[in-house]
Amino acid sequence: MAFFEVKDLTIHYETSEEEIEAVNHVSFSIDEGETLGLVGETGAGKSTTAYGILRILPDRTGRYRSGEILYNGKDILKMEEHEMKNIRGGEISMIFQDPMTALNPLMRVGDQIAEAVLLHNKCSKAEATRRALEMLETVGIDPARGEEFPYQFSGGMQQRVVIAMALACSPKLLLADEPTTALDVTIQAQVLDLMNDLKKKFKSAMLLITHDLGIVAENCDKVAIMYAGEIVEYGTLEHIFDNPMHPYTNGLFNAIPSLDKDTDRLNPIPGLMPDPANLPEGCNFAPRCPYANENCVQQELKEVEQGHFVRCCRVNGRGNDNE
Amino acid sequence: MIMSELLEVKNLKKYFKTPHGMLHAVDDVTFSIDKNKTMGVVGESGCGKSTLGRAILNLTPVTSGSVRFEDKELTEMGKKEWHEQRRDMQLIFQDPFSSLNPRYCVRELIADPLKVYHLCKGKGELEKRICELMDTVGLARRFMYAYPHELDGGRRQRIGVARALSLNPKFIVCDEPVSALDVSIQAQILNLLMDIQDETGMAYLFITHDMSVVKHISDDIMVMYLGCTVERASSKELFLRQLHPYTQGLMSAIPVPSIHYEKKRQIMKGELVSPIEPKPGCRFAARCPHAKDECRQTTPALEEVLPDHFVACHRVRELNSL
Repeated sequence: MAFFEVKDLTIHYETSEEEIEAVNHVSFSIDEGETLGLVGETGAGKSTTAYGILRILPDRTGRYRSGEILYNGKDILKMEEHEMKNIRGGEISMIFQDPMTALNPLMRVGDQIAEAVLLHNKCSKAEATRRALEMLETVGIDPARGEEFPYQFSGGMQQRVVIAMALACSPKLLLADEPTTALDVTIQAQVLDLMNDLKKKFKSAMLLITHDLGIVAENCDKVAIMYAGEIVEYGTLEHIFDNPMHPYTNGLFNAIPSLDKDTDRLNPIPGLMPDPANLPEGCNFAPRCPYANENCVQQELKEVEQGHFVRCCRVNGRGNDNE
Repeated sequence: MIMSELLEVKNLKKYFKTPHGMLHAVDDVTFSIDKNKTMGVVGESGCGKSTLGRAILNLTPVTSGSVRFEDKELTEMGKKEWHEQRRDMQLIFQDPFSSLNPRYCVRELIADPLKVYHLCKGKGELEKRICELMDTVGLARRFMYAYPHELDGGRRQRIGVARALSLNPKFIVCDEPVSALDVSIQAQILNLLMDIQDETGMAYLFITHDMSVVKHISDDIMVMYLGCTVERASSKELFLRQLHPYTQGLMSAIPVPSIHYEKKRQIMKGELVSPIEPKPGCRFAARCPHAKDECRQTTPALEEVLPDHFVACHRVRELNSL
């Protein structure tokens, strides 16, 4: 049973000059303990989706145009702010991309974690501090370092602090927004390993936002490929890696230099992602698509096999002519 | 072919003075690059790879060692000589957002190096050369009067490439030229750099932290850790067998975009130690799963363990049963 479901979510940013269509009709679901990878390039709307779920879009410009976000059957978008406060950082928490800016530079890291605990649990300050130090130990930091300030930690260690904070209230759903992009590969491997261990320990589900298909292959159960605010392909790990059907998904795989094969030339996807303030008529990917013709119109997601959805007019429902 | 060796770096050291002692950013690095070849330098942040590139170009004075380019010693050159030398040796920066003057339009940005070296006589010739360069790097002419902020990262990086190419250099240091770009754009720039090499016989020193990128573009690869070379071999050889424990750990840490790829994940413990006044011994010993007392006491030298495969590790023969 999916305990978390996003249905037809559309988020736009409204400015005095234009309307930026950041997220358009996005739907996905996450089961308990499951990891969904949300993959896409800069500007595809991945982070906006995560911010939208937690209702932390910028007040002045962020607008929900349609959709619902169901958490245990209840629509987050219809909740009162005080209800939302209980959920945000408690039952649904977030790991941000850049640990340097996610932490308060003037606060000892132990106190920062304790603050999250105090907000969501009825307990004494001493109890919260004890829990914070325990969390530090869980993420592999000497609890004695709880007295230190963020600048005294390296990038990898700061990200561990952010993870400790996100997990301090045993969330049901963890939104991880490019949690390792700012880190070196050897440290990235450590942090991902830690996140997977803790996810199991706390039985959390995860929405893992990344642009790295390698990270997806090793950490996710399901994958959603996002392009220009839309999910263009959605399915299990096997669907996406063994039988990618959308031309954009194929393009992404072809653009990565391979470690185990020798290739003379890479196959970049020509052109650029369209400006979300000025999306093309019809299919968003058509201007860059090698198969596009004048018949390429705006498409709904179609189910091509059980649980595998593709948004492309060359792909027929249940059966594929995209070869 | 006569004298194909273009650049020769010998025992290059670059130390920085800090309040806590000397920081050994680059420590005793030796290598050479031939014409038409690419040397890839890989390592994590703080391993000294960017400093190495800057030291070769004299953007930061070297502490000791020698850098020879076409048999001229660069470390002893004066300012005037360097001005001429730079025409042959250029740099492409990592960040196409901060490395371009925001007040210059594309035309001015590309014209800038040409004007500094008075390479074009008259306006017509300058105009022609700018168009030529824009064509080479694949920038449409309609962007001639666009400012950097109007362009995306990929196009901005193309300006960086055009600027580096404008003086017809023989050698370019590429300092993480694609790490700020999305994969689909990254592939465009990598292809461009390789095409330019095919046409002009350019040599590159390609600095990156991305193993798959370095494999794709390099002929030879040097792996650095805390200022030292730990392993150096041809690209083919290095991806066939990694002999240094650090290289092995680095390889196994890369997430592979395939779900049928079985591998032993060997997660390296710990982080880089401080490069300030490092103690003798192998710099990797603190994180190495195979470290012994010997490794903590004496610094291993870079040895030719297999033909053209150099490794700096005391236990390399024993661990790889060579």
